Amino acid sequence: MDRRTVIKNLTILTAGVTLLPSCLQKQEKALVHLKNFSLKASQEKSIASVVDTIIPKTDSPGALALGVHLFVLKMVDECYSKKDQQNFIEGLDQLDEVMQKNYGHSFYECNIKQREDTLLALEQQKGFPTALITFYKILKYRTIQGFTTSKYVLSNELVYELVPGRYNGYFPVKVVNLPSKKNA
Amino acid sequence: MADNNYDAIVIGSGISGGWAAKELTEKGLKTIMLERGRNIEHVKDYVNANKAPWEFPHRGGRTQQMIHDYPVLKRDYPLNETNLDYWASDKDSPYTEVKRFDWFRGYHVGGRSLMWGRQSYRMSEIDLTANARDGIAVDWPLRYAELDPWYTYVEKFIGVNGSRDGIEVLPDGHYMPAMEMNVVEKDVAKRLKEHYKGARQMIMGRSANITEPLKSRTNCQYRNKCWLGCPFGAYFSTQSSTLPAAVATGNLTVRPWSIVTKILYDKDTKKAKGVEVLDAETNQTYQFYAKVVFVCASTLNSAWLLMNSATDIWPDGLGSSSGELGHNLMDHHLGVGASGHVEGYDDKYYYGRRPNGIYVPRFRNLNGEKRDYIRGFGYQGSAGRHGWSRDIAEMNIGADFKDALTEPGPWTMGIGGFGEMLPYHDNKVTLDKTKKDKWGLNILAIDCELKDNEKKMRKDMLNDAIEMLEAAGVKNVKGLEGDGSPGRGIHEMGTARMGNDPKTSVLNKWNQVWDAKNVFVTDGAAMVSASCQNPSLTYMALTARAVDYAVSELKKQNI
Repeated sequence: MDRRTVIKNLTILTAGVTLLPSCLQKQEKALVHLKNFSLKASQEKSIASVVDTIIPKTDSPGALALGVHLFVLKMVDECYSKKDQQNFIEGLDQLDEVMQKNYGHSFYECNIKQREDTLLALEQQKGFPTALITFYKILKYRTIQGFTTSKYVLSNELVYELVPGRYNGYFPVKVVNLPSKKNA
Repeated sequence: MADNNYDAIVIGSGISGGWAAKELTEKGLKTIMLERGRNIEHVKDYVNANKAPWEFPHRGGRTQQMIHDYPVLKRDYPLNETNLDYWASDKDSPYTEVKRFDWFRGYHVGGRSLMWGRQSYRMSEIDLTANARDGIAVDWPLRYAELDPWYTYVEKFIGVNGSRDGIEVLPDGHYMPAMEMNVVEKDVAKRLKEHYKGARQMIMGRSANITEPLKSRTNCQYRNKCWLGCPFGAYFSTQSSTLPAAVATGNLTVRPWSIVTKILYDKDTKKAKGVEVLDAETNQTYQFYAKVVFVCASTLNSAWLLMNSATDIWPDGLGSSSGELGHNLMDHHLGVGASGHVEGYDDKYYYGRRPNGIYVPRFRNLNGEKRDYIRGFGYQGSAGRHGWSRDIAEMNIGADFKDALTEPGPWTMGIGGFGEMLPYHDNKVTLDKTKKDKWGLNILAIDCELKDNEKKMRKDMLNDAIEMLEAAGVKNVKGLEGDGSPGRGIHEMGTARMGNDPKTSVLNKWNQVWDAKNVFVTDGAAMVSASCQNPSLTYMALTARAVDYAVSELKKQNI
């Protein structure tokens, strides 16, 4: 074995050593880059899954495909106070605890019915810890905002015209209705 | 030295300064317009005007960093991502709040003419005689008949849309075709008219957006993005309207980054000989000289400049002999109103984004009515479809919810009051010599509050709003009751008031400083009372009128 091969093998081994334990402990860092707080990959997946459950893919793209979960995280990262951010993370962990207790999995690992049932119960705001309710309120508000102001929705559903050119104070709703509805 | 000599100096480039520059240059005076902030070039520098909603990373909202950087601006809507560059830095230019006063400033060429609300109403004879009738403060030194032709002159040039409604307290002007009420607003207006038998009316707002082409300006395209600067020049601003007219004369020099620190008073001639300028970028000091000086730095900064121009003859500032300089600060108090849902119009919508709303002219304390307060208020508002239906819990997530998000939301109708604030001698600004701004200049201390008359009026503003919406058939009407901090109206007025007597006023009936006859103050500082109408149109009319007088006096060699 020449020296070069040895070095190469060592490198691979070292890399493996650093990666392996974190995989086992499910503590790898999230993919999204945040400035003011950090997320574990599992937390990021649960957030994406809540966003996906609120606005799923139908015959048109859902919030996840439009990157709304990334918008939600950007807003939480840059527009909320430290206290709100702590509440948000705490509430997120509480959500996963609820799911673990009820179904034995994290939110993102649960099936659609389990996820929907939990969010519908959360909509009632009763019987859940305050942080979880805060988390859900922030996440839902920003999900709706991100979705309804996304390029896709404003180009295909609620068509946004940069220059309307005129004002008409009375317009029947049917005409305003959108290409996708007419086709449906 | 020759480069520093002009016929006229205009301090400030906003609504009033732009008008002063236009009128002076059109009358042939070589004029320099001094602006403390940066230049903003028409269209080219409206960097966000053509962005789609999704192109704003925070969708127009505010970040924690912005909240940290703007401790005053954060108190209301102006702090947002879409036009942050148009608002002055709270940190560079601090002020002392003896009592809370929200001061939202625009330090750049165009000033707040770029961000203003564009509502353009005349004051009436009832407003101009109010102080005399009530025996408070001082009488206005002019009457409606004197202002009327100047209102018309201004309206013709800037372009105001509106309807002629024949209402005594809100005189009709020279208007382009009114914008249109939407289907719900029309119905609410009709019901109010029937219910109150004409004693309370809801009319279409009158705004300085052109609804027909005017010179090189294109008529309004119903984008409702005026506060970003209009690429069509469809609303009145210094940039779209008065500045190009002034530039076209060849008589105008604009100097941005020029903080005027004092007016140079010559005790021998008893006139101003010019001004001293601190270059905001280089910190160098310059002097400019002229025969006449127009102070249009905005109400509080005009007062600051006069106070900062103290001499051994006038130790409290130029124009201070009456003891009224800096006093009688007014704003419009707002933050009170009501809103609710309108049913039965689910199949109806509107097209376009209208940069204007409805207006309910003042109806209190008129025709002999006497409430437990004097003066009155008007309402501004609109109806629209926003948000989405949230009535069915099961529809709050999932596919059905997603569909609902792309349907027009429920109709809502809302109105908010604009109340007249009285001129009180102890609502005032002074120089705070213990603190300095970024440029080492003394800052202002603001000591202003709402008093009993305003607080009593606010009860009517709330109750009448609820009553009127309910009378119009609006459902689930909820009152809105804000704290009404002064300053929030962004209509500062009164710190160098006009009057008939040099013992009780800073300016005479021509906006001329009693103590220095070639200095004119024509912004909101000149206001003697506030009325409840938005004031900018009155500043424009007063400015044009004052320039006409100043130039005729110059020709007669009286100044």
